[in-house]
Amino acid sequence: METSTAAAGTGQGEKAPVPRGRRPAWLPWAVGAVAVLACLGLQSQLYSGQERTVTTVFMFVTLAVGWNLIGGFTGYACFGQVGFFGLGAYTTVVLMVHGDLSFWVAWPISAVVAAVFAAAIGLPLLRLKGHYFAVATLGVAEGLRELVTNVPRWTGGGAGITIPSTGAKAPTLWLGNDGFYLLFLGLGAVSALVAALISRGRTGYALRAINQDEDAAAALGINTTWAKTVAFGMSAALTGAAGSAYAFQQVTIYPERLFDVNITVLMVVMVVIGGSGTVSGPILGALGIAVVSEYLRQHFAQWHSFTLGVLIIVAVILLPQGLVNFVRDAVRMRDFSLLSNVRRYRL
Amino acid sequence: MSQFLQATVYGLLQGGLLALIAVGFSLVWGVMNVINLAHGAFVLVGAYLTFELNQRFGLDPFAAIVPVGIALFAAGYLVQRGLINMVVKAPIFITLLLTFGLELVLVNGLVLLYSGDYRSVTTGYAGDGFTLLTGVRVPLGRLLAAAVALAITLVLVAVMRHTRTGLAILATGMDRGAARLMGIRARHVYALTFGIATAMAGTAGAAVSAVGTFSPADAGRFTLFSFVAAVLGGLGNMYGALIGGIVLGLVEAWGGQLLPGTLVNAVAFGVLVVVLAVRPQGIAGRAFYASRVEV
Repeated sequence: METSTAAAGTGQGEKAPVPRGRRPAWLPWAVGAVAVLACLGLQSQLYSGQERTVTTVFMFVTLAVGWNLIGGFTGYACFGQVGFFGLGAYTTVVLMVHGDLSFWVAWPISAVVAAVFAAAIGLPLLRLKGHYFAVATLGVAEGLRELVTNVPRWTGGGAGITIPSTGAKAPTLWLGNDGFYLLFLGLGAVSALVAALISRGRTGYALRAINQDEDAAAALGINTTWAKTVAFGMSAALTGAAGSAYAFQQVTIYPERLFDVNITVLMVVMVVIGGSGTVSGPILGALGIAVVSEYLRQHFAQWHSFTLGVLIIVAVILLPQGLVNFVRDAVRMRDFSLLSNVRRYRL
Repeated sequence: MSQFLQATVYGLLQGGLLALIAVGFSLVWGVMNVINLAHGAFVLVGAYLTFELNQRFGLDPFAAIVPVGIALFAAGYLVQRGLINMVVKAPIFITLLLTFGLELVLVNGLVLLYSGDYRSVTTGYAGDGFTLLTGVRVPLGRLLAAAVALAITLVLVAVMRHTRTGLAILATGMDRGAARLMGIRARHVYALTFGIATAMAGTAGAAVSAVGTFSPADAGRFTLFSFVAAVLGGLGNMYGALIGGIVLGLVEAWGGQLLPGTLVNAVAFGVLVVVLAVRPQGIAGRAFYASRVEV
């Protein structure tokens, strides 16, 4: 039986308004603030290797939250998100190496460059739907990588490029493990804040409307082009800022690593498994995937990717709508059975 | 001039092989609205199966096409029936993720079994060749691979257009709900479609193993080529994918001659993005599934 006619095209189609008064409005903000304070407290308990791992987790929180703006809320599967990551990174490197600018100047510029680039390619590409948008953005990211590889005068090409980060000639001294921990924690917190504000604001509702039915959204008077471009630009800005900070943290960067399509896929995995179109889903997804991935890497080095693949398959089949959406619906419907959940998208 | 001709011949032969890979990918995309990120991995499974058959029984790679095709059809049927059918009605990220998980499992399974080293299947004749008029060499192995690829593609198109099963697949691709009302078993048809696609990927893998080296890391490249060829040709249009594959082969070969470094890849992606932005129905004509009804 084709029962889920309305849900098929839209994903989280049957989103009913949350009943008033069940959850105090300040609760999510308080949880967020406590989480940030806990992360600050955690820092002193970690030795340097762990500190670097947790820093990477914060970066992936930023990336997942960023992707969720365009992929989750708006429903446009951007498969070239890593392009903004690499663009932010290389903008920073070029500004710091050739322009001799401080990182604290190059960082915001990189985010803005990524956002402007996204808006520019978004105008033609956001007219595409579904897979076409996915493939087009993938093409843009791959094209960017080839471009960066082929202008070695500016980017060092495939051989990589190094930011001077020690000594008197460095525009900004390397921040050290502690510094980058705070930098990425701050970035992750700001991303979550941006996502929460967008989600509760007018734009968030416009984006969800576009996700469910773009024509109907336009008929309601939503300027869909504007809303989509804003979402795409914001998402690119966060991703570009993360790429920029990552480049400075790594010091030496290579196009192969910075434009690795697997980074995009990781973002998508984190968002979908956590719960796309929610604020907390991508954060939980990023934490969960990063922790599991790190555990597997340390205990089953050989089988790491294989097991990760199996886990993704199992998670996607059991929880296709993601953890947060599943729990919310399960609480509302009083139905916690995974089996009835599986039936939802089965043919 | 002869260099240019040589590149053209090479591009056409390589394009034939890419077309065989892309047609299966395009079929799955068109009928089920699933982008199969594991498609390139199935090509390599076919290549390693051929390698194994050749090592164990000394089977010729081109003769291995038959058992490899049958084995991969069965594998593809089961994967669709057991895994992808479970989420086929979900939004596209879900199926993308599922096939990505599948790709990780297949590629890393191959790495665990055969290591990441490059392998090849050597035959006595694949290196032989003949020379056309002005010093253009045509290697026999590649010629055979391209011919086989073209033949399989044409047979598939004929099957799709003229048999009950083929028409059932096309009908399900156009409107699943209506097809089911006509008594078509969509679960079975989807599994058949995926099986056909993986069988084509596997046979392409057998041909790939005969004409060059391969390693598990090549999977992503094959998937990407299928993407580009399928989009160039127009979604779900099988002749389109054939043409897209050949165009891609030619662009690659010419670009390799004319452009410095790896800039040829940037050109291929540039073409892809422009085609998508300007003419999303592909260069080969109108989209076959333009009137698709999503139920």
